[in-house]
Amino acid sequence: MQEPAKLQLLTRSSEDSAFEIFEIDSTQASSRFKPKRRPAAEWDLKRQPRGIDGSLHFVLKNLRDDRYVLLSAQEFFLWEQFDGRNSLEEIARAFHLAFGAFDYSLIHGFLNKLYHAGLLDDHQARGPQNALISPPARTRADLRHRLVDTWRRLAFRTSDADRFCSMVYRCGGFLLFHPFIFWLIVAVALVAFAAAFRLAAHSHQFGRLMSAQPLLSTGIILISLLIASVFHVLIHAIACKAYGRRVRELGFFLLQGILPTFYADVTDIFMASRRARLMVDLAGPLVEVVFGSIAMLGAYLSDPGIGQAILFGTGVFLWESALINLYPFSFLELDGYNILADLLAMPMLRKQALALVPNLGQLMRNPSAIQRVELIQIAYLALCLVSVFIYLVLHLDALSTLLSFSWR
Amino acid sequence: MPIAIDFLQNVSLFQDLDTAGLSTLAALLVSKKAPAGAVIFRESDESDALYVLQAGAVVISKHIQGPVDVVLTTFRDGDFFGEMGLFDAAPRSATAQAKVDSILWRLERNAFLHIISDHPEIAAKVCYRLVSVFIERLRSTNDQAREAIRWGLEATGYSPAASRALFGRKST
Repeated sequence: MQEPAKLQLLTRSSEDSAFEIFEIDSTQASSRFKPKRRPAAEWDLKRQPRGIDGSLHFVLKNLRDDRYVLLSAQEFFLWEQFDGRNSLEEIARAFHLAFGAFDYSLIHGFLNKLYHAGLLDDHQARGPQNALISPPARTRADLRHRLVDTWRRLAFRTSDADRFCSMVYRCGGFLLFHPFIFWLIVAVALVAFAAAFRLAAHSHQFGRLMSAQPLLSTGIILISLLIASVFHVLIHAIACKAYGRRVRELGFFLLQGILPTFYADVTDIFMASRRARLMVDLAGPLVEVVFGSIAMLGAYLSDPGIGQAILFGTGVFLWESALINLYPFSFLELDGYNILADLLAMPMLRKQALALVPNLGQLMRNPSAIQRVELIQIAYLALCLVSVFIYLVLHLDALSTLLSFSWR
Repeated sequence: MPIAIDFLQNVSLFQDLDTAGLSTLAALLVSKKAPAGAVIFRESDESDALYVLQAGAVVISKHIQGPVDVVLTTFRDGDFFGEMGLFDAAPRSATAQAKVDSILWRLERNAFLHIISDHPEIAAKVCYRLVSVFIERLRSTNDQAREAIRWGLEATGYSPAASRALFGRKST
């Protein structure tokens, strides 16, 4: 059989004039290309619960370096065909028979995912992966990409997060997941709530005291929130270890590119059950509940004065933080959103809903054609919009009240 | 049927020749009529001549698979094709087929070699024009090759565009 011709591709580096040339078989740029996945020992596949919209997803994990890919049912079909024996032509025919239609862009997107995840045969992926690791300069040249790069530099991540979390879990972290601890938290929270109810009568007085010393009050509350958020993330990670899954990273980044926050990368929990994911999601906000309860009980037991006021304010902010975290409709992928996405088994709900926005007008003109999945996405968008609006109105009102105190 | 000198003057390949040169050339051209659908030469046939199209239309195509060819170009009145045959006996790189009834003039390689040896000034002018045409057609071929490879790379997923391909959950 005649050897395929060679194609040489040149990729330019992002920053300077350097470039790299790599060679691929011409068949890799044609429908005769036969994609071949990595050997089975190098990946793991976990079927996810069927979504409320009827969709089925799979999570594919690269066991060599902990990279993950989310597969739709159609992509799973393609993955099974990628055994190195079927050409794209043959796969397209098989896909057409199975699903009744085929779009090459689907295979394009999926292969692209696999290259990024290192899940294709090394020989096939070597050249393109090099190109993908160093995107061409022109894609980075524009201002938007430069800004994104700057933001990314603000983020940091720990190396060896899994080893650290395993150690914390072994050295007592496992106790946190005993049922007794959970019921203890519930009991403390209930007592603290009762205390807060009694203290609420003095809330105006607390507000005045805090306004009198705004720097001290704000500083202590911010530090409390910061400490709580560190523990919050750590508890997510330890919960992940409680289910025997890996913690990929601990770090600091900009959530959705806007909200600076700590994070724990717990993607590996997708290789466990849905219940495990929900427990990991719920574990984090319990930190704010516990810390808030302690602050509130401290306020209840304190003598009247600025200390009591700050403890009360800290408790309120920590509880509010827990509520915000658990509230799913904020456009942000906070814990509540993750719980919602897990319950609906729609892991890409937010992204899909946002992608729907440009077509909303068209959809609204023909409501009868709206599918169930689109209805869920529209409902998510609507609830997010309303929630954000209400949140802003309430907090602008609170802010103006606070400012009026401080001006007096 | 003698070829009209007026027509030859309008063929870009011969535009640098004077009347005497055109007359010398005209004497070497052989008339050929191709009814619609007639194959003038097939891909992989032996190359032995250049054709000048006086009237009609000729489709140049290259075989892809089965009954499918890709059309490279269509020539019309005053165009010429098969110029590689003047220099090289290698197999034809594409098929030429009359789209409608066409009148062609054939310049054989031997006749052209005769011009080179006996009338080098005419040969030089023709060769200069030929090189210009080669360059133009090569550019077009490069563009087509680039498009084909781009399509192929896209179809097989080789694109640096997808930056959010990986899945992950960062609990905050």
